[in-house]
Amino acid sequence: MTGQAALTPHGATPGAAPAPRIAAPTDWRGEAMRRRIARRYAAERRFRLMGLAAVLLSAGFLAFLLVTMVGNGARGFTRTQIALPIDFQRSAILIDPALLTGGNAEQALAGANLPAVIDKAAETAFGENGARMISPAAQTAVRKAIIADPAILTGTATITVPASEGIDVAAKGQGSAANEAAVARLQQAGALSTGLNLRFLTASDGTDPTLVGIWGALKGSLLTMAVTLALSFPVGVFAALYLEEYAPRNRWTDLIEVSINNLAAVPSIIFGLLGLAIFLNLMHLPRSAPLVGGMTLALMTMPVIVIAGRNAIKAVPPSIRDAALGIGASPVQVVFHHVLPLALPGILTGTIIGMARALGETAPLLMIGMRAFVASPPHGVMDPASVLPVQIFLWSDEVGHGFIEKTSAAIIVLLAFLLTMNSIAIYLRNKFEKKW
Amino acid sequence: MSGTMTLFVVVALGAIGWIVARARATRMQAEAGRLATNSLPSQHGWYVALWTALPALVFLAVWANVTPALVLDSVLQAPAAQALPADGFTRSAILGEARAIASGAQAAAFNPQSMTLVEPFRDAARHYGGMGALLAVILAFAGGAYALSRVRPAFTARRRIEKLVMWLLLGASLIAIVTTAGIVGSLLFESMRFFSMVNPLDFLTGLKWSPQSAAMGYGNEDAFGAVPLFWGTIFIGAIIAMVVAIPLGLMSAVYLTQYARPQVRKWMKPTLEVLAGVPTVVYGYFAALTVAPALRSFAAAVGIPGASSESALAAGLVMGVMIIPFVSSMADDSIAAVPQAMRDGSLAMGATTSETIRRVLIPAALPGVVGGVLLAVSRAIGETMIVVMAAGLAANLTLNPFASVTTVTTQMVQLLTGDQEFDSAKTLAAFALGLVLFVVTLLLNIVALRVVKKYREAYE
Repeated sequence: MTGQAALTPHGATPGAAPAPRIAAPTDWRGEAMRRRIARRYAAERRFRLMGLAAVLLSAGFLAFLLVTMVGNGARGFTRTQIALPIDFQRSAILIDPALLTGGNAEQALAGANLPAVIDKAAETAFGENGARMISPAAQTAVRKAIIADPAILTGTATITVPASEGIDVAAKGQGSAANEAAVARLQQAGALSTGLNLRFLTASDGTDPTLVGIWGALKGSLLTMAVTLALSFPVGVFAALYLEEYAPRNRWTDLIEVSINNLAAVPSIIFGLLGLAIFLNLMHLPRSAPLVGGMTLALMTMPVIVIAGRNAIKAVPPSIRDAALGIGASPVQVVFHHVLPLALPGILTGTIIGMARALGETAPLLMIGMRAFVASPPHGVMDPASVLPVQIFLWSDEVGHGFIEKTSAAIIVLLAFLLTMNSIAIYLRNKFEKKW
Repeated sequence: MSGTMTLFVVVALGAIGWIVARARATRMQAEAGRLATNSLPSQHGWYVALWTALPALVFLAVWANVTPALVLDSVLQAPAAQALPADGFTRSAILGEARAIASGAQAAAFNPQSMTLVEPFRDAARHYGGMGALLAVILAFAGGAYALSRVRPAFTARRRIEKLVMWLLLGASLIAIVTTAGIVGSLLFESMRFFSMVNPLDFLTGLKWSPQSAAMGYGNEDAFGAVPLFWGTIFIGAIIAMVVAIPLGLMSAVYLTQYARPQVRKWMKPTLEVLAGVPTVVYGYFAALTVAPALRSFAAAVGIPGASSESALAAGLVMGVMIIPFVSSMADDSIAAVPQAMRDGSLAMGATTSETIRRVLIPAALPGVVGGVLLAVSRAIGETMIVVMAAGLAANLTLNPFASVTTVTTQMVQLLTGDQEFDSAKTLAAFALGLVLFVVTLLLNIVALRVVKKYREAYE
């Protein structure tokens, strides 16, 4: 009411209405007004706090996610080791020491019945459950020790070998009661130590959590990304150049633009169906191969590169083109000698972001059968391979605490890669960004 | 000569052609004078290089597709092939094995008869491989010689090269259309096969989803009712996720654009965008490992019946968090597009900042926000890994967010990962689901973009 009254002009024309009602000026210091203002300011503060809470909640969730992953995953990079005394002299080892000096040492040891020797030694040292405390990966450690110093075969040697999943998890504080007790006993004997799990960075998928490694999946990811980049980058850049620089305004160009914009919004799993129907069922390419995965992801990444590329090309001022045309360059020379080099940083930024997205992508790869158990790193783009995100998905399905930390550790590796790629993109953008 | 070797030789010949032609054109230019020559020496070089390499490469590609049949033909002429059994299956098994051994892909034979055919296979492969390599090299020389003979001052090498470049650029942009056509074509084709087994009406309106029973031979009726899947998808992607993402995303955008100091904004905006960059498999793992068990124990403590360890709520909550930066950046854009005069006017009338935001900015930006939300929904319902890992497989029609529901994408993964024959209704159902998903996301995107565009025009 006060607002309306205040709007009434003071000097109203005489005779228009009975004596104009002159409102008292708003009493800003009055009790009612003060309360009203206090209420409005409180609402203002509440709203502001809600906004702050929304930001903090979102950021907090991110922090919680990262802390959980790092907390679980950091343990995946370490392993528990047991100092295992092996009496080779009295063991059932089947080996001719003469063979160890040649180049065939590995081969000779492969047939030397090492697992039985290790089990026996563990049972002698740690009681009848001893064999179950040692990881299957112990073989490799013992083999390495023998090759390094064949002389130990003539006596007793104490070799540090990785502990089994149960002991490993118990030593990290989350095992069963029986294993906890075993760990306590081992600790008393002074046989337990913690070491860096190098195997996790060099091995491939396996059946036992102490055996698995990330290298196979990482190599698969790198090969897949190489195929994706080799296909989507030239095609994306060329398409962006055509649409931005040469395309006539007609129905066909519109169709191309509409399909590129739609492809950018199509759910990734649909690209997996396309890959399955075309690459596998129609063209009979091998399942699980980085080539097929790379081609599928390339189709997905291409629109991202086209859209980023067009924006970068649009940002190159027309005066550059006019100047080049003016001194006699042909339209192709204008674009390839002048526009493209100037737009390249922007295109590269978009490409890296698109590649980071492709690196984290899982669903389309599941569709084209990239979920097989692959125990050795791929040698080429036609070999069966796994990729990092799919490896994470496969491990997340495994029961057992040993795999939880491995899954989180793999996630840390994946996130580290993505973070690096995004940082490079941001660095490129900041370094080469030009205001014309 | 192996295939890679031939490829290498052809490319090398192209490079030599480039050097020779460029040298010749340079000399020619020096003799005739710069203004009398049409093209630059390097353009002549490219012309010759392309004429050398391209026809030979095209020939090699064709040859690689033709030779297997020719090799097989000549192997069947060999005396050892007369002993092959007439039975088609064993026959092709033996031939395939012999081919694998001959090419070195396999070390030993299961069927001793294969060994007799290895030599003929090797011979034939060598014969045709050598022939192909020879023809390719001849073609390369012929093409190069022809192009080299055309290096003259008046020859328009530049125009020809540029024409090829234009075709290349056009071809690259057509790949987008080809991909779209490939998606639509393969989805339609496989869905048609599915709908020839299952009535489309049953698929779209049926309430019971149990493809397993169809696979076990109980018939296709009543097994492919996709409504529970649609409901699960909408429940998780369009309801729970949006309940999380819309308020958080909108309020974050409002706070960061209207209240936060520039320094805070500079750091918080990229931080929130990291949420969109985390791979979905990580979110899925997080939802399954941390969020879902916590929610289940919460539900058990409160006494909600039907609580499952794979709840709709866990998947929806995490998906909502993933969508926050998406909603936030769309809201940011649309609020920034509201003319400054409207904001200034409201503030000048004495409204507080929050009153201006609530009564002026957000109503004015609403169409843009709605468009952004539609885009976010389309992204959420197409999201796969979070729901595959956290939402479960039971096709329930339920309103209980603590119960397990399944979604379209979950079922697509479920139907297609496994080793079943490709022609069963069970596998083809994945393509029908894919078609529905494709159409729905497409419609959402079209509507959203139209809303946003119309609204942008209103202020321009």
